[in-house]
Amino acid sequence: MDRNDSFREFVAAHQQSLMRTAYLLTGDAHLAEDLLQSVLLKVLGRWPKLAHVASPQAYARKALVNQYISWRRRPMRAEVPSAEPPERSYSSEESTLVRLAVRRALAQLPPRQRAVIVLRYYEDLTEHETARLLGCSLGTVKSQAHNALARLRALAPELAPRFAALEELKGTKP
Amino acid sequence: MIWLRDVLDELADEAPRADLAERTIRIRERRRRRAVSLVAAAAVVAIALAATAAVRLLPGEPDAAGRPSGGEVSDLPARGVGPLSHAYLTYCRPERGAAPRGCVHGGWRVVTRGGRTYRLADALRSSPTGLRNSPLAISRDGRKVAYYKAAAGTFVVRDLATGAVKAAPTRVPRAWLGSFAHLLLSDDGRFLAFTKAPRLKDPAMLFDLRERMARPLPNGWNPIGLSPDGGTITLAEYAPKTRLQVMTHLWRTSTAGNGKAVDVSGHYLAGGLGPDGRSVAALEVASVPGTGCTRSGGDLVHLDLETGRTLRRVAIRGVSLTDHHAYLRSWVGTDEITLLTSPFRCRTDSGKQDGPAEEGERLDPPYVPFTAYALNVRTGETRRLATYTAQDSFYLVLPGFPGTL
Repeated sequence: MDRNDSFREFVAAHQQSLMRTAYLLTGDAHLAEDLLQSVLLKVLGRWPKLAHVASPQAYARKALVNQYISWRRRPMRAEVPSAEPPERSYSSEESTLVRLAVRRALAQLPPRQRAVIVLRYYEDLTEHETARLLGCSLGTVKSQAHNALARLRALAPELAPRFAALEELKGTKP
Repeated sequence: MIWLRDVLDELADEAPRADLAERTIRIRERRRRRAVSLVAAAAVVAIALAATAAVRLLPGEPDAAGRPSGGEVSDLPARGVGPLSHAYLTYCRPERGAAPRGCVHGGWRVVTRGGRTYRLADALRSSPTGLRNSPLAISRDGRKVAYYKAAAGTFVVRDLATGAVKAAPTRVPRAWLGSFAHLLLSDDGRFLAFTKAPRLKDPAMLFDLRERMARPLPNGWNPIGLSPDGGTITLAEYAPKTRLQVMTHLWRTSTAGNGKAVDVSGHYLAGGLGPDGRSVAALEVASVPGTGCTRSGGDLVHLDLETGRTLRRVAIRGVSLTDHHAYLRSWVGTDEITLLTSPFRCRTDSGKQDGPAEEGERLDPPYVPFTAYALNVRTGETRRLATYTAQDSFYLVLPGFPGTL
Protein backbone atom coordinates (compact mmCIF):
# COMPACT_ATOMS: atom_id res chain seq x y z
CA MET A 1 0.00 0.00 0.00
CA ASP A 2 1.51 3.33 -1.01
CA ARG A 3 1.10 6.67 0.66
CA ASN A 4 -1.84 7.63 -1.51
CA ASP A 5 -3.68 4.41 -0.82
CA SER A 6 -3.60 4.92 2.92
CA PHE A 7 -4.67 8.53 2.40
CA ARG A 8 -7.58 7.34 0.25
CA GLU A 9 -8.61 5.00 3.04
CA PHE A 10 -8.48 7.82 5.53
CA VAL A 11 -10.56 10.09 3.34
CA ALA A 12 -13.11 7.40 2.63
CA ALA A 13 -13.54 6.80 6.33
CA HIS A 14 -13.71 10.37 7.57
CA GLN A 15 -14.55 12.79 4.80
CA GLN A 16 -18.29 12.80 5.30
CA SER A 17 -17.95 13.40 9.00
CA LEU A 18 -15.55 16.26 8.29
CA MET A 19 -17.79 17.56 5.54
CA ARG A 20 -20.72 17.74 7.95
CA THR A 21 -18.66 19.80 10.36
CA ALA A 22 -17.43 22.00 7.52
CA TYR A 23 -20.99 22.57 6.42
CA LEU A 24 -22.10 23.56 9.90
CA LEU A 25 -19.19 25.97 10.12
CA THR A 26 -19.68 27.60 6.75
CA GLY A 27 -23.40 27.13 6.17
CA ASP A 28 -22.67 26.74 2.49
CA ALA A 29 -22.20 23.59 0.46
CA HIS A 30 -19.61 25.05 -1.87
CA LEU A 31 -17.59 26.72 0.83
CA ALA A 32 -17.75 23.55 2.91
CA GLU A 33 -16.32 21.60 0.01
CA ASP A 34 -13.61 24.18 -0.57
CA LEU A 35 -12.81 24.26 3.13
CA LEU A 36 -12.50 20.50 3.40
CA GLN A 37 -10.53 20.35 0.18
CA SER A 38 -7.94 22.77 1.53
CA VAL A 39 -7.69 20.85 4.79
CA LEU A 40 -7.25 17.54 3.02
CA LEU A 41 -4.44 19.09 1.03
CA LYS A 42 -2.73 19.95 4.30
CA VAL A 43 -3.35 16.47 5.60
CA LEU A 44 -1.92 14.91 2.47
CA GLY A 45 1.12 17.16 2.72
CA ARG A 46 1.83 15.79 6.17
CA TRP A 47 0.57 12.32 5.55
CA PRO A 48 3.92 10.54 6.01
CA LYS A 49 3.94 11.80 9.59
CA LEU A 50 0.22 11.70 10.26
CA ALA A 51 -0.27 8.19 8.95
CA HIS A 52 1.56 6.88 11.98
CA VAL A 53 -0.12 8.94 14.68
CA ALA A 54 -3.09 7.66 16.59
CA SER A 55 -5.64 10.09 15.24
CA PRO A 56 -5.02 11.82 11.96
CA GLN A 57 -8.69 12.78 11.95
CA ALA A 58 -8.08 14.86 15.06
CA TYR A 59 -5.45 16.80 13.16
CA ALA A 60 -7.84 17.19 10.25
CA ARG A 61 -10.63 18.42 12.48
CA LYS A 62 -8.37 20.94 14.16
CA ALA A 63 -7.12 22.15 10.80
CA LEU A 64 -10.69 22.41 9.58
CA VAL A 65 -11.80 24.66 12.41
CA ASN A 66 -8.71 26.83 12.32
CA GLN A 67 -8.85 27.16 8.55
CA TYR A 68 -12.48 28.21 8.81
CA ILE A 69 -11.66 30.86 11.41
CA SER A 70 -8.75 32.02 9.28
CA TRP A 71 -10.97 32.35 6.23
CA ARG A 72 -13.54 34.32 8.10
CA ARG A 73 -10.87 36.77 9.22
CA ARG A 74 -10.50 37.87 5.66
CA PRO A 75 -11.95 41.29 5.06
CA MET A 76 -14.96 40.12 3.15
CA ARG A 77 -18.44 41.33 3.72
CA ALA A 78 -20.28 39.08 6.07
CA GLU A 79 -23.07 37.36 4.26
CA VAL A 80 -26.31 37.64 6.13
CA PRO A 81 -29.41 35.88 5.02
CA SER A 82 -32.33 38.17 4.61
CA ALA A 83 -34.93 35.54 4.00
CA GLU A 84 -37.21 35.26 6.96
CA PRO A 85 -38.21 31.85 8.23
CA PRO A 86 -41.64 31.03 6.90
CA GLU A 87 -44.60 32.07 8.94
CA ARG A 88 -46.10 29.33 11.02
CA SER A 89 -48.67 27.94 8.64
CA TYR A 90 -50.68 25.00 7.60
CA SER A 91 -47.76 22.89 6.48
CA SER A 92 -44.93 24.02 8.74
CA GLU A 93 -43.60 21.64 11.24
CA GLU A 94 -42.00 22.68 14.45
CA SER A 95 -38.73 21.02 13.64
CA THR A 96 -38.46 22.78 10.30
CA LEU A 97 -39.06 26.15 11.88
CA VAL A 98 -36.48 25.48 14.54
CA ARG A 99 -33.94 24.37 11.98
CA LEU A 100 -34.47 27.44 9.86
CA ALA A 101 -34.21 29.72 12.86
CA VAL A 102 -31.00 28.09 14.07
CA ARG A 103 -29.46 28.19 10.60
CA ARG A 104 -30.28 31.84 10.25
CA ALA A 105 -28.91 32.71 13.67
CA LEU A 106 -25.75 30.66 13.22
CA ALA A 107 -24.97 32.57 10.05
CA GLN A 108 -24.70 35.75 12.06
CA LEU A 109 -22.32 34.49 14.73
CA PRO A 110 -18.66 35.51 14.69
CA PRO A 111 -16.48 32.62 13.51
CA ARG A 112 -15.07 31.63 16.89
CA GLN A 113 -18.46 31.62 18.54
CA ARG A 114 -19.87 29.55 15.71
CA ALA A 115 -16.97 27.14 15.98
CA VAL A 116 -17.55 26.78 19.72
CA ILE A 117 -21.22 26.03 19.17
CA VAL A 118 -20.42 23.40 16.55
CA LEU A 119 -17.69 21.79 18.62
CA ARG A 120 -19.58 21.80 21.89
CA TYR A 121 -23.08 20.96 20.73
CA TYR A 122 -22.55 19.05 17.52
CA GLU A 123 -19.18 17.39 17.94
CA ASP A 124 -20.03 16.96 21.61
CA LEU A 125 -16.55 17.95 22.73
CA THR A 126 -15.95 18.94 26.33
CA GLU A 127 -14.84 22.46 27.17
CA HIS A 128 -11.32 21.17 27.71
CA GLU A 129 -11.28 19.42 24.36
CA THR A 130 -12.72 22.48 22.65
CA ALA A 131 -10.09 24.71 24.21
CA ARG A 132 -7.33 22.35 23.13
CA LEU A 133 -8.64 22.21 19.59
CA LEU A 134 -9.05 25.96 19.29
CA GLY A 135 -5.75 26.64 20.98
CA CYS A 136 -7.28 28.90 23.60
CA SER A 137 -7.93 28.84 27.32
CA LEU A 138 -10.76 27.08 29.07
CA GLY A 139 -12.09 30.43 30.20
CA THR A 140 -12.19 31.67 26.64
CA VAL A 141 -14.24 28.66 25.59
CA LYS A 142 -16.65 29.23 28.48
CA SER A 143 -17.10 32.89 27.64
CA GLN A 144 -17.39 32.23 23.91
CA ALA A 145 -20.03 29.59 24.52
CA HIS A 146 -21.95 31.85 26.87
CA ASN A 147 -21.82 34.75 24.45
CA ALA A 148 -22.71 32.54 21.52
CA LEU A 149 -25.78 31.17 23.21
CA ALA A 150 -26.84 34.65 24.30
CA ARG A 151 -26.40 35.88 20.77
CA LEU A 152 -28.35 32.98 19.33
CA ARG A 153 -31.12 33.63 21.78
CA ALA A 154 -31.23 37.27 20.75
CA LEU A 155 -31.13 36.43 17.07
CA ALA A 156 -33.80 33.79 17.35
CA PRO A 157 -36.17 35.01 20.07
CA GLU A 158 -38.67 32.35 19.15
CA LEU A 159 -36.22 29.80 20.51
CA ALA A 160 -35.63 31.62 23.79
CA PRO A 161 -37.27 28.97 25.98
CA ARG A 162 -35.11 26.28 24.47
CA PHE A 163 -31.96 28.32 24.95
CA ALA A 164 -32.93 29.09 28.50
CA ALA A 165 -33.00 25.38 29.20
CA LEU A 166 -29.66 25.07 27.52
CA GLU A 167 -28.16 27.81 29.66
CA GLU A 168 -29.38 26.10 32.81
CA LEU A 169 -27.50 22.98 31.88
CA LYS A 170 -24.42 24.87 30.73
CA GLY A 171 -21.30 23.66 32.43
CA THR A 172 -22.57 20.22 33.22
CA LYS A 173 -20.10 18.85 30.70
CA PRO A 174 -16.87 20.69 31.51
CA MET B 1 -28.49 20.11 24.99
CA ILE B 2 -30.23 17.44 23.08
CA TRP B 3 -32.49 19.70 21.03
CA LEU B 4 -29.63 21.85 19.75
CA ARG B 5 -27.56 18.83 18.91
CA ASP B 6 -30.48 17.33 17.05
CA VAL B 7 -31.02 20.52 15.09
CA LEU B 8 -27.33 20.77 14.21
CA ASP B 9 -27.39 17.14 13.19
CA GLU B 10 -30.33 17.79 10.88
CA LEU B 11 -28.54 20.77 9.38
CA ALA B 12 -25.42 18.67 8.87
CA ASP B 13 -27.51 16.21 6.89
CA GLU B 14 -27.61 18.88 4.19
CA ALA B 15 -23.83 18.72 3.79
CA PRO B 16 -22.75 17.85 0.26
CA ARG B 17 -21.39 14.44 -0.57
CA ALA B 18 -18.16 14.50 -2.50
CA ASP B 19 -15.24 12.19 -2.96
CA LEU B 20 -12.30 14.48 -2.43
CA ALA B 21 -9.51 11.94 -2.22
CA GLU B 22 -8.61 11.77 -5.88
CA ARG B 23 -9.07 15.49 -6.39
CA THR B 24 -6.81 16.20 -3.42
CA ILE B 25 -4.14 13.88 -4.71
CA ARG B 26 -4.30 15.49 -8.13
CA ILE B 27 -4.04 19.02 -6.76
CA ARG B 28 -1.21 18.04 -4.48
CA GLU B 29 0.61 16.46 -7.37
CA ARG B 30 0.13 19.55 -9.48
CA ARG B 31 1.47 21.82 -6.78
CA ARG B 32 4.45 19.61 -6.17
CA ARG B 33 5.35 19.64 -9.81
CA ARG B 34 4.91 23.36 -10.07
CA ALA B 35 7.25 23.90 -7.20
CA VAL B 36 10.00 21.76 -8.64
CA SER B 37 10.89 23.88 -11.60
CA LEU B 38 9.63 25.91 -14.47
CA VAL B 39 9.63 22.82 -16.62
CA ALA B 40 7.47 21.12 -14.06
CA ALA B 41 5.23 24.17 -13.91
CA ALA B 42 4.73 23.90 -17.64
CA ALA B 43 3.81 20.28 -17.12
CA VAL B 44 1.23 21.32 -14.55
CA VAL B 45 -0.35 23.59 -17.07
CA ALA B 46 -0.38 20.78 -19.60
CA ILE B 47 -2.01 18.45 -17.12
CA ALA B 48 -4.61 21.02 -16.21
CA LEU B 49 -5.28 21.57 -19.85
CA ALA B 50 -5.55 17.89 -20.52
CA ALA B 51 -7.74 17.42 -17.49
CA THR B 52 -10.16 19.97 -18.76
CA ALA B 53 -9.81 18.69 -22.32
CA ALA B 54 -9.44 22.25 -23.33
CA VAL B 55 -8.42 23.45 -26.70
CA ARG B 56 -5.14 25.20 -26.22
CA LEU B 57 -3.81 27.15 -29.10
CA LEU B 58 -0.80 25.50 -30.60
CA PRO B 59 1.86 27.40 -32.48
CA GLY B 60 1.00 28.40 -35.98
CA GLU B 61 3.01 29.87 -38.78
CA PRO B 62 3.86 33.52 -38.48
CA ASP B 63 1.67 35.61 -40.66
CA ALA B 64 3.03 38.89 -41.84
CA ALA B 65 -0.40 40.35 -42.28
CA GLY B 66 -1.37 39.31 -38.79
CA ARG B 67 1.55 40.75 -36.93
CA PRO B 68 0.86 43.10 -34.08
CA SER B 69 1.24 46.75 -34.72
CA GLY B 70 4.82 47.68 -35.42
CA GLY B 71 4.10 51.30 -34.64
CA GLU B 72 4.94 53.16 -31.49
CA VAL B 73 3.24 51.85 -28.40
CA SER B 74 2.86 53.96 -25.30
CA ASP B 75 1.46 53.38 -21.86
CA LEU B 76 -2.29 53.78 -21.52
CA PRO B 77 -3.09 57.45 -20.93
CA ALA B 78 -4.90 58.38 -17.74
CA ARG B 79 -8.05 59.32 -19.69
CA GLY B 80 -9.39 60.10 -23.10
CA VAL B 81 -9.02 56.63 -24.63
CA GLY B 82 -11.64 55.40 -27.07
CA PRO B 83 -13.51 52.09 -26.93
CA LEU B 84 -11.40 48.97 -27.23
CA SER B 85 -11.41 46.47 -30.03
CA HIS B 86 -9.42 43.87 -28.10
CA ALA B 87 -6.50 43.27 -25.78
CA TYR B 88 -3.62 40.83 -26.02
CA LEU B 89 -0.88 39.54 -23.80
CA THR B 90 2.69 39.73 -25.04
CA TYR B 91 5.59 37.39 -24.54
CA CYS B 92 8.76 38.56 -26.13
CA ARG B 93 10.70 35.50 -27.26
CA PRO B 94 8.47 33.81 -29.84
CA GLU B 95 9.68 30.54 -31.33
CA ARG B 96 9.28 32.05 -34.78
CA GLY B 97 8.80 35.53 -36.07
CA ALA B 98 9.40 38.78 -34.27
CA ALA B 99 7.99 40.09 -31.03
CA PRO B 100 6.13 43.39 -31.31
CA ARG B 101 8.22 46.49 -30.91
CA GLY B 102 8.45 47.63 -27.30
CA CYS B 103 7.37 44.21 -26.11
CA VAL B 104 6.95 43.83 -22.36
CA HIS B 105 7.23 40.21 -21.30
CA GLY B 106 3.96 39.06 -19.80
CA GLY B 107 2.30 42.46 -20.18
CA TRP B 108 -1.12 43.32 -21.57
CA ARG B 109 -1.74 45.65 -24.50
CA VAL B 110 -5.08 47.16 -25.37
CA VAL B 111 -6.08 48.18 -28.87
CA THR B 112 -8.77 50.76 -29.60
CA ARG B 113 -11.29 50.45 -32.39
CA GLY B 114 -9.38 53.29 -34.03
CA GLY B 115 -6.24 51.14 -34.08
CA ARG B 116 -4.23 52.81 -31.31
CA THR B 117 -2.28 50.37 -29.15
CA TYR B 118 -1.35 50.99 -25.54
CA ARG B 119 0.48 49.04 -22.87
CA LEU B 120 -1.54 48.40 -19.73
CA ALA B 121 1.43 49.08 -17.55
CA ASP B 122 -0.20 48.83 -14.14
CA ALA B 123 -1.70 45.39 -14.73
CA LEU B 124 0.09 42.56 -12.97
CA ARG B 125 2.63 40.97 -15.28
CA SER B 126 3.41 37.27 -15.34
CA SER B 127 5.69 35.91 -12.69
CA PRO B 128 9.00 34.41 -13.80
CA THR B 129 7.26 31.04 -14.05
CA GLY B 130 4.92 32.35 -16.66
CA LEU B 131 1.95 31.90 -14.35
CA ARG B 132 -0.36 34.30 -12.61
CA ASN B 133 -0.43 37.26 -14.93
CA SER B 134 -3.44 39.45 -14.42
CA PRO B 135 -6.57 38.18 -16.10
CA LEU B 136 -8.34 40.84 -18.12
CA ALA B 137 -11.88 41.58 -19.25
CA ILE B 138 -13.36 44.31 -21.40
CA SER B 139 -16.94 45.50 -21.05
CA ARG B 140 -19.16 44.69 -24.01
CA ASP B 141 -19.14 48.31 -25.17
CA GLY B 142 -15.36 48.38 -25.01
CA ARG B 143 -15.33 51.40 -22.71
CA LYS B 144 -14.18 49.74 -19.48
CA VAL B 145 -11.41 47.31 -18.74
CA ALA B 146 -10.95 45.15 -15.64
CA TYR B 147 -7.65 43.74 -14.48
CA TYR B 148 -5.49 43.04 -11.43
CA LYS B 149 -3.63 46.20 -10.56
CA ALA B 150 -0.29 45.19 -9.11
CA ALA B 151 0.12 48.33 -7.01
CA ALA B 152 -3.38 48.08 -5.54
CA GLY B 153 -3.14 44.37 -4.78
CA THR B 154 -6.61 43.80 -6.13
CA PHE B 155 -8.80 44.11 -9.19
CA VAL B 156 -9.78 47.44 -10.66
CA VAL B 157 -12.19 48.57 -13.35
CA ARG B 158 -11.01 51.52 -15.38
CA ASP B 159 -13.23 53.77 -17.45
CA LEU B 160 -11.05 54.48 -20.45
CA ALA B 161 -12.68 57.76 -21.41
CA THR B 162 -12.91 59.42 -18.00
CA GLY B 163 -9.97 57.67 -16.37
CA ALA B 164 -12.09 56.81 -13.33
CA VAL B 165 -10.73 53.73 -11.60
CA LYS B 166 -12.77 51.71 -9.14
CA ALA B 167 -10.99 49.12 -7.02
CA ALA B 168 -12.53 45.97 -5.61
CA PRO B 169 -13.51 46.33 -1.95
CA THR B 170 -11.07 43.67 -0.77
CA ARG B 171 -7.46 43.00 -1.47
CA VAL B 172 -6.79 39.80 -3.38
CA PRO B 173 -3.40 38.21 -2.73
CA ARG B 174 -1.55 37.39 -5.92
CA ALA B 175 -1.36 33.77 -4.85
CA TRP B 176 -5.14 33.62 -5.21
CA LEU B 177 -4.94 34.12 -8.94
CA GLY B 178 -4.22 30.42 -9.42
CA SER B 179 -2.95 29.01 -12.66
CA PHE B 180 -5.92 30.11 -14.73
CA ALA B 181 -7.84 33.14 -13.56
CA HIS B 182 -10.99 34.44 -15.17
CA LEU B 183 -12.88 37.70 -15.00
CA LEU B 184 -16.33 38.59 -16.21
CA LEU B 185 -17.41 42.23 -16.15
CA SER B 186 -21.02 43.36 -16.22
CA ASP B 187 -22.01 45.64 -19.06
CA ASP B 188 -22.04 48.72 -16.83
CA GLY B 189 -18.79 47.80 -15.11
CA ARG B 190 -20.41 47.65 -11.68
CA PHE B 191 -20.04 43.91 -11.06
CA LEU B 192 -16.92 41.88 -11.54
CA ALA B 193 -16.71 38.11 -11.15
CA PHE B 194 -13.36 36.48 -10.46
CA THR B 195 -12.75 32.75 -10.54
CA LYS B 196 -9.73 30.56 -11.03
CA ALA B 197 -8.50 27.04 -11.51
CA PRO B 198 -7.35 24.70 -10.22
CA ARG B 199 -9.84 24.54 -7.41
CA LEU B 200 -7.64 25.89 -4.64
CA LYS B 201 -8.75 26.79 -1.15
CA ASP B 202 -9.10 30.51 -1.73
CA PRO B 203 -12.58 31.55 -2.69
CA ALA B 204 -13.65 32.90 -6.01
CA MET B 205 -15.48 36.19 -5.65
CA LEU B 206 -18.09 38.50 -7.04
CA PHE B 207 -17.52 42.20 -6.44
CA ASP B 208 -20.00 45.04 -6.41
CA LEU B 209 -17.69 47.96 -7.09
CA ARG B 210 -20.35 50.59 -6.58
CA GLU B 211 -21.59 49.42 -3.20
CA ARG B 212 -18.14 48.06 -2.30
CA MET B 213 -19.27 44.61 -1.37
CA ALA B 214 -17.93 41.16 -2.11
CA ARG B 215 -19.36 37.72 -1.86
CA PRO B 216 -17.74 34.34 -2.40
CA LEU B 217 -18.39 32.21 -5.41
CA PRO B 218 -17.70 28.50 -5.74
CA ASN B 219 -14.19 27.85 -6.86
CA GLY B 220 -13.18 26.00 -10.00
CA TRP B 221 -16.05 27.34 -12.12
CA ASN B 222 -15.79 29.75 -15.03
CA PRO B 223 -18.24 32.65 -15.21
CA ILE B 224 -20.06 32.77 -18.55
CA GLY B 225 -22.93 35.11 -17.75
CA LEU B 226 -23.75 37.86 -15.27
CA SER B 227 -27.15 39.51 -15.04
CA PRO B 228 -27.30 43.32 -15.26
CA ASP B 229 -28.24 43.59 -11.58
CA GLY B 230 -25.41 41.29 -10.52
CA GLY B 231 -27.89 39.02 -8.80
CA THR B 232 -27.55 36.01 -11.07
CA ILE B 233 -24.40 34.40 -12.37
CA THR B 234 -24.06 31.52 -14.78
CA LEU B 235 -21.01 29.32 -14.47
CA ALA B 236 -19.46 26.46 -16.38
CA GLU B 237 -17.13 23.79 -15.10
CA TYR B 238 -14.94 21.63 -17.31
CA ALA B 239 -13.11 19.28 -14.98
CA PRO B 240 -13.63 16.53 -14.19
CA LYS B 241 -16.70 16.86 -16.39
CA THR B 242 -18.71 19.56 -18.05
CA ARG B 243 -21.31 21.14 -15.79
CA LEU B 244 -23.42 24.27 -15.81
CA GLN B 245 -24.66 26.18 -12.82
CA VAL B 246 -26.93 29.15 -12.26
CA MET B 247 -26.75 31.00 -8.96
CA THR B 248 -29.46 33.47 -8.09
CA HIS B 249 -30.17 36.04 -5.38
CA LEU B 250 -26.46 36.49 -4.92
CA TRP B 251 -26.74 39.58 -2.77
CA ARG B 252 -29.70 38.55 -0.70
CA THR B 253 -28.82 35.31 0.99
CA SER B 254 -26.00 34.03 3.08
CA THR B 255 -25.18 31.02 1.05
CA ALA B 256 -24.22 29.99 -2.39
CA GLY B 257 -26.83 27.31 -1.99
CA ASN B 258 -29.10 29.02 -4.44
CA GLY B 259 -27.05 27.45 -7.17
CA LYS B 260 -28.45 24.72 -9.31
CA ALA B 261 -25.83 22.68 -11.12
CA VAL B 262 -26.48 20.22 -13.91
CA ASP B 263 -24.20 17.74 -15.57
CA VAL B 264 -23.68 17.86 -19.31
CA SER B 265 -23.22 14.56 -21.06
CA GLY B 266 -20.08 14.87 -23.15
CA HIS B 267 -17.29 17.40 -23.10
CA TYR B 268 -18.06 20.92 -24.26
CA LEU B 269 -16.64 24.42 -23.98
CA ALA B 270 -19.35 27.02 -23.58
CA GLY B 271 -19.54 30.47 -25.06
CA GLY B 272 -20.90 33.50 -23.26
CA LEU B 273 -24.46 33.31 -21.98
CA GLY B 274 -27.00 34.45 -24.55
CA PRO B 275 -28.74 37.82 -24.32
CA ASP B 276 -31.96 36.10 -23.21
CA GLY B 277 -30.16 34.86 -20.10
CA ARG B 278 -30.95 31.24 -20.93
CA SER B 279 -29.18 30.30 -24.15
CA VAL B 280 -25.94 28.42 -23.86
CA ALA B 281 -24.07 27.60 -27.04
CA ALA B 282 -21.05 25.34 -26.90
CA LEU B 283 -18.50 23.51 -28.99
CA GLU B 284 -17.77 19.88 -28.40
CA VAL B 285 -14.20 18.95 -27.57
CA ALA B 286 -13.07 16.10 -29.80
CA SER B 287 -9.84 14.12 -29.69
CA VAL B 288 -7.67 13.90 -32.75
CA PRO B 289 -6.88 10.16 -32.93
CA GLY B 290 -3.31 9.19 -32.32
CA THR B 291 -2.05 12.64 -31.45
CA GLY B 292 -3.20 13.52 -27.96
CA CYS B 293 -4.48 16.80 -29.39
CA THR B 294 -8.01 18.07 -29.33
CA ARG B 295 -10.11 20.13 -31.66
CA SER B 296 -13.66 21.35 -31.80
CA GLY B 297 -16.48 19.33 -33.25
CA GLY B 298 -18.08 20.69 -36.39
CA ASP B 299 -21.42 21.57 -34.80
CA LEU B 300 -22.63 24.38 -32.64
CA VAL B 301 -24.41 22.72 -29.75
CA HIS B 302 -27.28 24.33 -27.87
CA LEU B 303 -27.36 23.23 -24.24
CA ASP B 304 -30.33 23.41 -21.91
CA LEU B 305 -29.31 25.43 -18.89
CA GLU B 306 -31.98 23.72 -16.79
CA THR B 307 -31.16 20.11 -17.57
CA GLY B 308 -27.74 20.14 -19.25
CA ARG B 309 -29.19 18.25 -22.18
CA THR B 310 -28.38 18.96 -25.79
CA LEU B 311 -31.30 20.82 -27.33
CA ARG B 312 -30.06 20.84 -30.90
CA ARG B 313 -26.97 20.83 -33.07
CA VAL B 314 -26.29 23.15 -35.95
CA ALA B 315 -23.54 22.42 -38.46
CA ILE B 316 -21.11 25.33 -38.72
CA ARG B 317 -20.69 26.55 -42.28
CA GLY B 318 -17.99 28.61 -43.89
CA VAL B 319 -15.19 27.70 -41.47
CA SER B 320 -13.44 24.35 -41.41
CA LEU B 321 -13.13 23.19 -37.84
CA THR B 322 -10.77 20.45 -38.90
CA ASP B 323 -8.36 23.12 -40.08
CA HIS B 324 -8.91 25.53 -37.20
CA HIS B 325 -9.04 25.67 -33.47
CA ALA B 326 -12.28 27.36 -32.49
CA TYR B 327 -13.54 29.17 -29.42
CA LEU B 328 -16.85 30.81 -28.61
CA ARG B 329 -16.95 34.26 -27.09
CA SER B 330 -19.72 36.85 -26.68
CA TRP B 331 -22.98 37.06 -28.55
CA VAL B 332 -23.40 39.52 -31.39
CA GLY B 333 -27.06 40.47 -31.19
CA THR B 334 -29.73 37.89 -30.52
CA ASP B 335 -28.93 35.34 -33.21
CA GLU B 336 -25.17 35.38 -33.57
CA ILE B 337 -22.27 34.46 -31.35
CA THR B 338 -18.61 35.28 -31.89
CA LEU B 339 -16.57 32.34 -33.17
CA LEU B 340 -12.83 32.92 -32.82
CA THR B 341 -10.56 30.70 -34.87
CA SER B 342 -6.88 30.13 -35.45
CA PRO B 343 -5.05 27.67 -37.72
CA PHE B 344 -5.04 24.13 -36.35
CA ARG B 345 -1.68 22.86 -35.27
CA CYS B 346 -0.94 19.74 -33.31
CA ARG B 347 2.48 19.41 -31.85
CA THR B 348 3.47 15.75 -31.77
CA ASP B 349 5.61 14.14 -29.14
CA SER B 350 8.57 14.16 -31.48
CA GLY B 351 8.01 17.82 -32.01
CA LYS B 352 8.12 18.40 -28.30
CA GLN B 353 11.43 16.62 -28.09
CA ASP B 354 12.80 19.03 -30.63
CA GLY B 355 12.11 21.87 -28.28
CA PRO B 356 14.67 23.35 -25.94
CA ALA B 357 15.28 21.18 -22.93
CA GLU B 358 16.49 23.85 -20.57
CA GLU B 359 13.91 26.10 -19.08
CA GLY B 360 16.06 29.14 -19.67
CA GLU B 361 15.94 28.37 -23.36
CA ARG B 362 12.21 27.88 -23.53
CA LEU B 363 10.65 30.11 -26.10
CA ASP B 364 7.16 31.51 -26.33
CA PRO B 365 4.47 30.63 -28.85
CA PRO B 366 4.72 32.55 -32.13
CA TYR B 367 2.27 35.30 -32.98
CA VAL B 368 -0.44 33.79 -35.15
CA PRO B 369 -3.56 35.15 -36.80
CA PHE B 370 -6.97 34.81 -35.21
CA THR B 371 -10.14 35.43 -37.13
CA ALA B 372 -13.45 36.31 -35.52
CA TYR B 373 -16.71 35.34 -37.18
CA ALA B 374 -20.32 36.06 -36.32
CA LEU B 375 -21.87 32.60 -36.19
CA ASN B 376 -25.62 32.41 -36.67
CA VAL B 377 -26.82 30.07 -33.95
CA ARG B 378 -29.88 29.02 -35.98
CA THR B 379 -28.40 28.45 -39.40
CA GLY B 380 -24.70 27.87 -38.70
CA GLU B 381 -23.77 30.52 -41.27
CA THR B 382 -20.67 32.55 -40.51
CA ARG B 383 -19.63 36.03 -41.51
CA ARG B 384 -16.17 37.40 -40.97
CA LEU B 385 -15.84 40.18 -38.39
CA ALA B 386 -12.17 40.95 -37.78
CA THR B 387 -8.68 39.53 -37.54
CA TYR B 388 -6.26 39.79 -34.66
CA THR B 389 -2.81 38.58 -33.79
CA ALA B 390 -1.90 36.86 -30.56
CA GLN B 391 0.17 34.03 -29.19
CA ASP B 392 -2.64 32.06 -27.59
CA SER B 393 -6.39 32.13 -27.31
CA PHE B 394 -5.97 32.80 -23.60
CA TYR B 395 -3.85 35.80 -24.48
CA LEU B 396 -6.49 37.43 -26.68
CA VAL B 397 -9.47 39.14 -25.04
CA LEU B 398 -12.42 40.59 -26.91
CA PRO B 399 -15.11 42.81 -25.37
CA GLY B 400 -17.67 40.90 -23.31
CA PHE B 401 -17.16 37.27 -22.39
CA PRO B 402 -13.37 36.93 -22.32
CA GLY B 403 -13.13 33.22 -22.95
CA THR B 404 -13.40 29.98 -21.11
CA LEU B 405 -11.45 27.15 -19.47
